[in-house]
Formats: sequence, structure tokens, C-alpha cells
Amino acid sequence: MLEKTKNIAKQILEEKKADGVLGLMKSRWDIVQPHVFEKPGELDALVLEPKWLLAKLFMSILRSYPEDYRLAVICRGCDERALIELTKRNQIEKETLLTIGIACSQEQAAICLCDRPYPVKLDAGEIASGADPFQDERVREFLIGNDKKRMEKWANVLKRCIKCYGCRNSCPICVCEPCKLEDDVWVQRGAVPAEMITFHLIRAFHLSDTCVACGACQEACPVNIPLLYLQLSMRKTLKEKYGYEAGLDPERKSPILSDFFKEPETGREYPEWINSLRGKDGY
Amino acid sequence: MGVLESRTQIIVREVKMNQPGILVFACKWCGLIGADAAGKKRVSLPARFRVISVECAALVETDAILRALAGGIDGVAVLGCHIGGCRYTNANHASIKRFELLKDLLDTTGIGGKRLLLSFGTAHEYHQFEEIIKNFFDELAVLPPLDPWLSPFGVVS
Amino acid sequence: MGTKFIKTICPYCGTGCGLIIKVEDGVAVATYPDREHPVSRGSLCVKGWSAHEFIHHPDRLTSPLLRKGDVFQEIPWDEAIPMAVDKLRETAVKYGGDAVGGLSSAKCTNEENYLFQKLMRMAFKTNNVDHCARLCHAPTTVAMAQTLGSGAMTNSISDLAGAECLLVIGSNAAESHPIIMGEIYKAVDRGATLIVVDPRKTAVVQNAKIHLPINPGTDIPLLCGMMRHIIDEGLYDKEFVKARTEGFEELNEFISAWTVEKASGECGINPELIKLVAETYAKAKESAIVYCMGITQHACGTANVLAICDLAMLCGHVGKEYSGIYPLRGQNNVQGACDMGALPNVYPGYQGVSDPAIRDKFQKAWGVELSDKPGLTVTEIIGSAGKDIRAVYIMAENPALSDPDVNHVLESLKALDFLIVHDIFLTETARFAHLVFPGSCFAEKSGTFTNTERRFQLLRKAIDPPGNAKEDFTILCLLGSALGLDFSYNHPGEVMEEIASLVPAYGGVCFDRLEREGLQWPCPDSDHSGTQYLHKDRFTRGRGLFVTPEYTPPKELPDDDYPYYLSTGRMFAHYHTGTMTRRSPFLNREAEEAYAEINPEDAVHLDVKDGEKIKITTRRGSIITTARITKRVSKGSVFAPFHFAEARANMLTNPVLDPLSKIPEFKVCAADVRKESQDD
Repeated sequence: MLEKTKNIAKQILEEKKADGVLGLMKSRWDIVQPHVFEKPGELDALVLEPKWLLAKLFMSILRSYPEDYRLAVICRGCDERALIELTKRNQIEKETLLTIGIACSQEQAAICLCDRPYPVKLDAGEIASGADPFQDERVREFLIGNDKKRMEKWANVLKRCIKCYGCRNSCPICVCEPCKLEDDVWVQRGAVPAEMITFHLIRAFHLSDTCVACGACQEACPVNIPLLYLQLSMRKTLKEKYGYEAGLDPERKSPILSDFFKEPETGREYPEWINSLRGKDGY
Repeated sequence: MGVLESRTQIIVREVKMNQPGILVFACKWCGLIGADAAGKKRVSLPARFRVISVECAALVETDAILRALAGGIDGVAVLGCHIGGCRYTNANHASIKRFELLKDLLDTTGIGGKRLLLSFGTAHEYHQFEEIIKNFFDELAVLPPLDPWLSPFGVVS
Repeated sequence: MGTKFIKTICPYCGTGCGLIIKVEDGVAVATYPDREHPVSRGSLCVKGWSAHEFIHHPDRLTSPLLRKGDVFQEIPWDEAIPMAVDKLRETAVKYGGDAVGGLSSAKCTNEENYLFQKLMRMAFKTNNVDHCARLCHAPTTVAMAQTLGSGAMTNSISDLAGAECLLVIGSNAAESHPIIMGEIYKAVDRGATLIVVDPRKTAVVQNAKIHLPINPGTDIPLLCGMMRHIIDEGLYDKEFVKARTEGFEELNEFISAWTVEKASGECGINPELIKLVAETYAKAKESAIVYCMGITQHACGTANVLAICDLAMLCGHVGKEYSGIYPLRGQNNVQGACDMGALPNVYPGYQGVSDPAIRDKFQKAWGVELSDKPGLTVTEIIGSAGKDIRAVYIMAENPALSDPDVNHVLESLKALDFLIVHDIFLTETARFAHLVFPGSCFAEKSGTFTNTERRFQLLRKAIDPPGNAKEDFTILCLLGSALGLDFSYNHPGEVMEEIASLVPAYGGVCFDRLEREGLQWPCPDSDHSGTQYLHKDRFTRGRGLFVTPEYTPPKELPDDDYPYYLSTGRMFAHYHTGTMTRRSPFLNREAEEAYAEINPEDAVHLDVKDGEKIKITTRRGSIITTARITKRVSKGSVFAPFHFAEARANMLTNPVLDPLSKIPEFKVCAADVRKESQDD
């Protein structure tokens, strides 16, 4: 997979389809870091491990370069989905998106609890079957079971938050300026741990229909809060009710932005509880 | 930004002064009518709730709901118009979907989606309003308390 | 094109996380975490994420400055260096070499610290070199050197995740060392018990299983009570004590006076809880003690650390992979500054200046005669300014905010004949300088930092210093050469080679190896891959020595005139004297103005609401600050972070020193708190 990726990237540079390729470079001292490759010769130092999300870097580099600079990016499944979400939200021009898609191994999918460890535009690598997050033991502890116990579990783990903003900084979708989490109407300043409901749940809900489950938030968290798990049931609902998965279709906007009559197929039925006096959940 | 801020300030003031058990966002075209009517009929209802009137249920920010729960409120109700009856051309559709998703998030964390009550088109008669609120109080009474989550808003705990 | 990514090390705390700085056209614009870093592994705290913000601040010094009256004039380097040399030489000739003092920097690299102490020792034949470790972990170096033979963290940071019992004393790691806190939480996730000893309810306490809110300064009674119970119940590691230690009989006799009841009376903790904690610590298979300023910044700070070492050795919880003693060093390179001998009584590698053989070795290596008299410490240098000390060279330190009894410090700085301050911003200390050198920050230099787990880590230069500022390494070489010393180094790597040749424990450290990975000393030769944990089969001094910890209560306790306990410390958004963090917008946003924490009951009594102004007074002075009402402090206590120059917490603190390590008692003094009327 590595050789194939290198060749594709070299070809892109040689045929001047792009001015630079964003990927990971292994220096002569065996250190890995992101790098914009501009000469085909540099690509000999290209590596694909470890998992390093480049979607946000792609966006910020494009912003600071001149307008006619074309940048290609080597991306995994979650990267590509994040980039597509960013195009839908007008942060990146769709025409400027040039990706070299690589597939993740089954081991990586198991670590990330990812059920789609490959991009739609796949250029190199074998498709792995992926892992169902709801089969994972730790996920089940946090998501399924007795309400009171789960609330305490979540409270205990969210109490550790040291307000590093790492989750927000590393999330490829978190691009709002100004960010609501910095507004002290919502989040109190100077307090550690960060208020659980208003910091974490506000952020989690803002991402409800855009989260691509890349896990960057969890990886950036110094105190091991399982932030990804907050998104999982919302993603499941969107999939089951509306057949929608964030980042898959660049043309389809999120279902919660539209009305029932205009949504394609599955979104057309409005829920039966609407006309019942008892509302949802039977009361 | 202006509407958002004023909404939040209202909630903050409510929380600090009266600690209501339930906060009701009532769309002024239907839900508020039921609430007003219940008041006029002097229906007997538990006192610990407050009603905030909004132009449309779609105006209710999910962040405001979360802020209310963080501030000590036990449950939030959103009363809007029925499908096809929104004064602002189907704005309530997207908000219905949005709030359902918020219920998911509240369920995930164990807070309980039950703390968010949605009534779209079923609260514009006084008896409907009365029944909804009474049932809501009953449901909330059996839910485990939110204490481990809350830091009193405005004070570092 | 213009974007480069440079991997380097964070300049804030002693954890030493890996950073990637994004540079666009010579400007550092963003910071990202390093996924490959062995300690931080892709995470950063809020200070790390904002590490680039202060670099291009307009306040950066860009030219050497000469002070005339109250005005600072820019002068060129070729005037500044000779002027410095003349003035320093003049002082040395007139009053002797020991009238010159130097404050080295725990923020500068190992190479720069090495050159600094070499310059002072060679040019002025004095050992008056010290740095801010005196104010934080001096007791650690003294006490652990005495008991174990080596004053550094015994294990690695990642070892914390393997402990079964974590005893965190006097440390608010969730705010000052967040990444290390992450490792502690990893252990908790695996079922470990987290026990926290702290008079305040910090963020760590909120996540702990057991909290011991001891009376301020009563750590020795608690630890001795625990040891007494462990010995009485026979829970101590008898084999370990017999085979690996000495002095147990004296300790046992000393401890016999500290019954659990007596300990409980002093520290205010229920005897049953003391016993429970003692048993949990002793019985766990792997136990770690993590401590920080709450232990060291007391008038009995050295004895506090002795008690910790005694407890660890008693239960055999040291010299193993996960168990150990973990002092959390504060500054990014305070471990390195100590290692490089920027201390008045040792050369690089903790080799004593009074030892004739060692002195001989350095005299031969450096080619000049050296003084064998130990020099003065930071507090002594500032304290005797104008009397024994006439000229001082301060590199990247800010005693006008960080030393106790600030009023006295300011008077002393004014009394100096000549003061050079070498820094990146015009700090409060620099305002008293006669001559100011503009230095470089972490992103503008190459060199090494040593983090708290003894790891040498390489810094990579990302950008150039602004204007006419020079790299600190270059400035020291220029100054040294102008003083007639052979400081003709081309690159900091050459300095590291010299260091490796003089200190056996660092023999295998060189820049080529550090490019690939950090190296934890001892690393004696180029085949050695560094040491994860110390004291494996033998302690550095041979057998571990039990030293009896004499208890002294805090020197100034609350009384009728000053009825509150005042404690000072850190908060998560700012770093130490705020020179860098208060110029970073994202960090400053979290805490823009000075504040002090008061308990809600005291607030009612004083009629103070959250956000109102209060005046805190002690026998040294008073400050006006904003009240923050919180239950984190207990009734009768006040906590003031020391980051804010407009309300210097150190205006109030007690300059009484620990006799053995000379650290001031920052953590306890008596204060009076009043509401400040609004008409001011």
C-alpha cells in the first residue's frame, strides 16, 4: 500500500495535477511528522503510520497559501468524510479537494471502533471489514444499561476534564469562529474541571449530525475521557431513521436541517407520537 | 446573538431566583395559548414551573436546554405547533428532528431523554396543557437526581 | 512554500510534552501535539496548545537596552557586551569575585545553563550561581541525595499508570502537570486507589477516592503516624529494609513517639483514616508517591521529603518498575539546570565544589583555578545585594515576582551597583536592570531540556529571534569570549559533548542520538539506552539511608491580628510569573485579573461577594485583589495564585527559610482579609 501511494503521489506532482501533497514524512532520524511534499523525490520519505488526521491541517494550510495553490492530501476513511463534511459547510471548495485514499487495517479499525475503515475514493490498500462499536465492552458500559449507574460513570469521567480544549482543537469539524465554548455566557472561565454539561454536551450536540467518528477528540484528551462514545447513539439514530451517515455523500445535507416533506425517501414519515396527546415516550 | 443572549439571561435569572423544576418553552402560536388558558381557568398545577414564550419552537436553542439542565432545572418542555401548522413554513420540522437527537444524547449520558418533553400540536387547549405538565412532573419525580453533574452556575465548586 | 512543521518540546512545565510548531514564512502560527512523543502521546494541556502565542508579541525585546534614570535606551551589541564586561570586572576587582552573583535559568537549555555556570566560575572565581530550583525543589535534591543518593524522580512518568496505590501529597497535578495527571487516571481506570493529601479541595481531590484535608504544614505528623502504624502492624517490607537500607533502628525509635493519635491531633485527620491510608499504601503491590510544592515549600520542606523517602523505603516501594517517588519538577528545564550545576555547591552532575578531586578534574578541563567555597543561594544573593553582593547577572528569572517578601527584593535590587537582566520580555525584574540583553525563546534555539523524568530531549529551532535579539547560547559565548574565556563553540551540540565528557552519568548523551529519541540519565555510554527507573538493585549511594524527619510546625500561624491561613500556588491557565502566559490571548482569557479564593462562610462574615475587591495583609505587606468565592478552600484559609504582577502574592509571603535547603515557606503564613471599599 505504501509503494502504491508513493507512486500515485509522485505521479500527481509530476503531472502537475497538484502543487503539493500533504502527508506524513519520516525524517532521516526516524521521526514522523506532517509535511507538504512538493518535489517527487521527497516522497521517498513518505509513511502512512501512525494514524494522524490531516483534514484540519489541510484546511488551515489551504487558507494561508495563495488561492491558486492546489494541495492534495493522503487520507483515510475518516479524513475523507471529515473533508466532505467541511465542503458541505463551505469551509473548503469542493473543486480543490484532491485526495489519495488509503484503507486502514483491521487492527486499526478495531482500535478506532470504526465500521467503515476506508474512504469512498479508495486508491490504495485492502478494505477491512471494520468493527461495530456497540460490540465493544467499554462502549457498552457507557452506553447501555442502568441509567443511574451510567450517569455516575459519565460524571466521574467527565469530572477529570482539565479544559485543555484539545478535543475542540483536534476535531476536524470544529471550525467555528468564534467558538461557543469560548463564550463565557455558556462556559465559565477559569474553572477546572470544565462544567460537564455545558462544555461537553454543547460540543457533542453541535457535532451531532457532522461527527465522522474519527476519534481525534479521544486521542487528544490527556485524561482519557471517552468523548467518541457521546456521539455514537446519535449517529446510530441518524443512520436507522434517515439512512444518513456524515461525510458519505457530498450532495446530501444533514436531515435535521430540512423538513419532513422534502427529505428523500426515509425521512418523509413524521413520527406518530406527534399527534398523540401523550407526546413522545408516552406522556 | 441578541436573541440567544437574552434567552440565556432569562434562564439564568430564573434559575438563580426561583429554582423552578420545569422550564417550558411555549411557541406563542399554540403552546402558549394552552398555557395562558390554563392560567385563566385557574387550573391547579404544581408551582415549580416557568413558561418562556418564543416566536417559534425552532428558536429554542439546544444549548439553552443544556444550560437550563446544568443550572438545576429538572426538566425542559418544548411546546410547538403541529406538523403543517407552523407559522414560519415548516420550521418546526427541523426542530422536531433536532430535539429528538438531543434526547438521544441525554439518554447516552444517563441524564435521560425523558427530561426533555416534546409536544408539537398537542398543547393548545387548557386541559391538554394541564395534563402534559402534570404527567411531566410525575415522570420526573421517579428519575434519579442530577446532582453529580452540576456545579452551581456562577460559582466555582 | 512557506509552511514548515518543526518538532520541539514545550516550554512550560516539567512534563516536557512534544509539540509541533507550524511555521509560515518565519512566523510561528500554531501548535499541534506530537502523536509519537513517549510522554504526551498526542495530548497537550491548554498551555501547550497555546505555546506559540507569546512568541511574536510586540513586547518582545529586540535590542540591548541601557537604563538611564527611568528610561531605557537601545544600544548596539558591540557596546553592550564590553560595557557588561567592564562593569563586572570592575566589581570583581574592587570587592572580589564573590561579590558577583549569577541567577541562571530553569527555562533555558542545558547547554546554556552549563555555559552560564562555567562563565561565572571561570571568570570570577566564585560559586555564587543558583536558580529558581531553590524556590521549588531544593528540598528534593538535598533530601533525596541524602537518603537515596540521587535527587531525581526515581521512575518514569509512564510508570505511574502501573501503580496500584497512588499517594498524591501537596500536588495539584490536574492544574500544574495535566499530562502527568492523565497517567494517574490511567492507573485509576485500571482499578488503582487515588489518595490525595491537600488542605484544599482541588480538581485532583474531586477525582480521588480518599481525601485527607490536613492542617497546613502537618505532612510530617501524617507520614510519621502512617509509618508508626505500618511498623506496628508489621506491614513493612522486612526483607527490603534488611537487605537494602541502613538506619532503621534510629527511625524506629524516632517513630515510636509518633502514635497515630498524636499524629491525628497535629494534622486533624481521623486516626482510623490514617490507618486505612497507611495500610492501603503498604499492602498494595505497587505504590507511588507523587509530590510537589505542597511538600517542599515549607520551613521543614527538607524534612518533609525525608519523611516521604523513609515511607517509600520502609515499604519497599522504590527501585521497582512502577513503585517509586515522583517529585514533579516545575519548570521545563529545572531538572536540567540542576543537572548542569547551576547550583552554588555542585558542579555539573552534582559533583561537589569542595571535593578536591572533583575540583581538580574541572580545573584541568577548563584550564583555570576554581573556588572551593560553596556559593550563595538565590535568596541569599538577593538578600545580601548592596552588601556582600554588588553585581548580579540574571538570566531569564523574575525574582521581583517569584521570591518571597517582594518589598525586600525590590529594595535589594535597587541597592545593586550593577544588574544585568537577560530575558525575552521586559519583566518586573528587568525594570531595575542597568543593562538588558534580549534573549531567545524556546522556538528560536537549538539545545536540550531535561524533563522531570530525567529525560534529555532535543529542541529544534523553528524561527529566528526577533530584531536584534540573539540566541541565549550566542550571547553567553559572546560574553564569555569578551571576558577572555575560550567560549568558541559553534553549536550547542559541541557544548553537550563537553558536558558528556565531564559527567559520567551523561556520557552517552549527544545530539545525534537525541534526534531520534530522548534519553533518560544515567546514560553512561553510547550503547546505553537510558534508565527507566533508578535504584534497581542498589541505591545510588549503596544502601538507602533512613533519616529521621524532625517536625517543625509552620513558622507563622494565624493569630488574633492575622487570623487567616494564606497559601500561594498555581492555577491551570497561567504559568508562574505570567511573563509568557499573560501575553497569550487564549490563556489570558481564562484569568485576566488577579484573584484570591475565599470560602463562602468567610465571605459572608466579611460581607464580600464574588468579584468584589478585598485587601489581604500580612506582616510583610498588602495587596488588593478580586475575591473568588469557592468551596475549594476551607474556612479560615485564603489561596492566592502568584501569577499576577498587579497583585503580587509574594508581597505577602514569609521569607523564613528551611535551614537545610534554604527554600522559603511559601505555603503557609498568617494573613488578614478585609473587604476593600469601593471608593478607591
